[in-house]
Amino acid sequence: MTSSVDLYVRGNSPLHRLDVRAKVIALTGFLIATILAPTRPIWPSVALFVMLGIGIAVAHLGLELVVKRLGGLTLVIGVPFLLSRFGSLPTQLAGEMFALKSLLVASAFLLLTSTTRAETVLDLAVRVPVVGGLGALAAFILRGMHVLIGEVMRTNRSWALRAPGASLKVKVSGLTSASISLLGRAAARSERVGAAMVLRGFDGALPVSVADPLPRHHLAAGFAIAIVSLLVGSISRWL
Amino acid sequence: MSKVRPDTLSKARELSLAGLLGALGLLLPIGFHALGWGGKIFLPMHLPILVGGFLLNASIAGSLGLIVPLLSAVLTGMPPLAPPVAPLMAIELLIKGSVASFAYRRLRLPLAAALLLALISDWLVLALAAFGLAEFFRIEDSPLIYVGGAIALSWPGTVLQAAIAPLAVRVIEQRVPRLAEARRRR
Amino acid sequence: MAVTSALSIENLSYSYPNAGTAIENVSFSIASGERVALLGANGAGKSTLLWCLVGVLPAQGRVWVGGTLLGHGTEREIRRNLALAFSEPDDQLFMLTVERDVTFGPLAAGDDLETANEKALRAAAEVGLRTELMQRPPHELSSGEKRRAALAAILVSGPKVLALDEPTNSLDAPGRQALAETLAGLDCAQLIATHDLGFASQLCTRALVMVEGRLVDDTDLSDLLADRERLIQYGLATESRA
Repeated sequence: MTSSVDLYVRGNSPLHRLDVRAKVIALTGFLIATILAPTRPIWPSVALFVMLGIGIAVAHLGLELVVKRLGGLTLVIGVPFLLSRFGSLPTQLAGEMFALKSLLVASAFLLLTSTTRAETVLDLAVRVPVVGGLGALAAFILRGMHVLIGEVMRTNRSWALRAPGASLKVKVSGLTSASISLLGRAAARSERVGAAMVLRGFDGALPVSVADPLPRHHLAAGFAIAIVSLLVGSISRWL
Repeated sequence: MSKVRPDTLSKARELSLAGLLGALGLLLPIGFHALGWGGKIFLPMHLPILVGGFLLNASIAGSLGLIVPLLSAVLTGMPPLAPPVAPLMAIELLIKGSVASFAYRRLRLPLAAALLLALISDWLVLALAAFGLAEFFRIEDSPLIYVGGAIALSWPGTVLQAAIAPLAVRVIEQRVPRLAEARRRR
Repeated sequence: MAVTSALSIENLSYSYPNAGTAIENVSFSIASGERVALLGANGAGKSTLLWCLVGVLPAQGRVWVGGTLLGHGTEREIRRNLALAFSEPDDQLFMLTVERDVTFGPLAAGDDLETANEKALRAAAEVGLRTELMQRPPHELSSGEKRRAALAAILVSGPKVLALDEPTNSLDAPGRQALAETLAGLDCAQLIATHDLGFASQLCTRALVMVEGRLVDDTDLSDLLADRERLIQYGLATESRA
């Protein structure tokens, strides 16, 4: 069974092939640029949106997909923005800044998550000192998710929850018992998985393998995107 | 005959249990959304993190709370990273998980008391965030309105946590007696 | 008790907390390269025995693997030489890709990445796991492929003894046949806990029979399979209704 819950869109574009470390460098530069870009004048933010548009085109993501994914944020971005219109000038400016920057950051993350498998990011995160432990935990969560998806599909009650027209009582009771049953099974399974780790030599930390060196041209591409973003985002401050 | 060094095996089992509870933290919100039940109302992500808080040590429970919203944001887009709902939830659940663990496993308070402390810590984080954001965006209205609104809106989620978390902890402690023993032994 | 055997057990006993005795005074030994079936009805104690062999359950009694006694400080060596295949391979595939799972053991033992990868490829070839599956996440594999991946992950360290807990669970007939052929091609001694008598008869000539936690028979497998009364007595077959 393949995962159907992540945002990765299969493809072979230059962005898909770009090393994830280079993408993180590019994203970091872009996020800083977003913070630096003023709300007024608006053209630096527009320029950053144009950069994102180029990225989306290069990744062959399609406008429909972008609209569908960003559309989910309409409420959380739109409502505060609309409410701010009724406030004082500082509140209105704050609302504009909030909406603009939220959209920029959301679009940037959309580009990253659509062109990078979560497993690739986590595989790398595990190897990083300090955050390696969190990366390992995230990797375990991801693995656990795929196992649980299989278990949920096999649990009879999940079908009752999906029955159209099921009464609220059935839905609540079904979801509750399914969750508790899953928790119990998860705990029992975790004992076995923990034992499996120890039997294969786990001694308190996941064994870390050295990452492949980052190819120079990927590194250059990542930095180029970051630097251009920073220039675009901050240029109005010098002019 | 000797047995396995308990610390390594316990650590492995904790990591594994945290992984599976975190996975539930990813899947339950998906299930709730599929049924059309709002995440802000029922707080489905909070439930496994709270249960994890009662069953895991504080550092791993806190890590779980930190990771799950961020991982969910990256994998599914919800909660969103921008606006910073996911980062705020990450801090909220980090505190909630850690407080639940500290209160139940370290201080050995009754589960109801630990649950209440965890809920209060969650609301305090929301209040602090609301004040902080109000300052940052220079919003003149009292931020307590938003905090009060968020808490009121999510009362079904609070009830769900109060009802199900203790039951879930009992179910798991029965399936894995070692967890209850570890708490008693401390 | 001969400690030159691949695996030797003396008076092994274990009781679960708040439950009855799971296994009691079990003793036997297995020679290098020998394949032995561990038979018994559900709840006979087969799985418990296997967990005790690898030291996860703290049993009373003694276990030698290749001459080394299981105890404080020897667990790692024992587990390098005695590998346990779980009944559910998903429980043993805990990394994000099959390759990471198979290289986990060598990396944990301190091998560098190149050596670990070489060992992983050899182990994958040994169990018939296709190389292109190595980069896939475990959840994308079929039951049979997961079984092979889990086997590769535990064989990669070159154990002298392989213990398998209900290895034919969720395998169809071709899958069982393929697994039998794979196991027949391995050099190590094998202890196969199963209630699948047909599978056992393909691989093993000797049977250990457990009933309610006790080892009640150590016998030739084909003799046992021909003796319906004994099979019924041990809970391995039921009386015909015809």
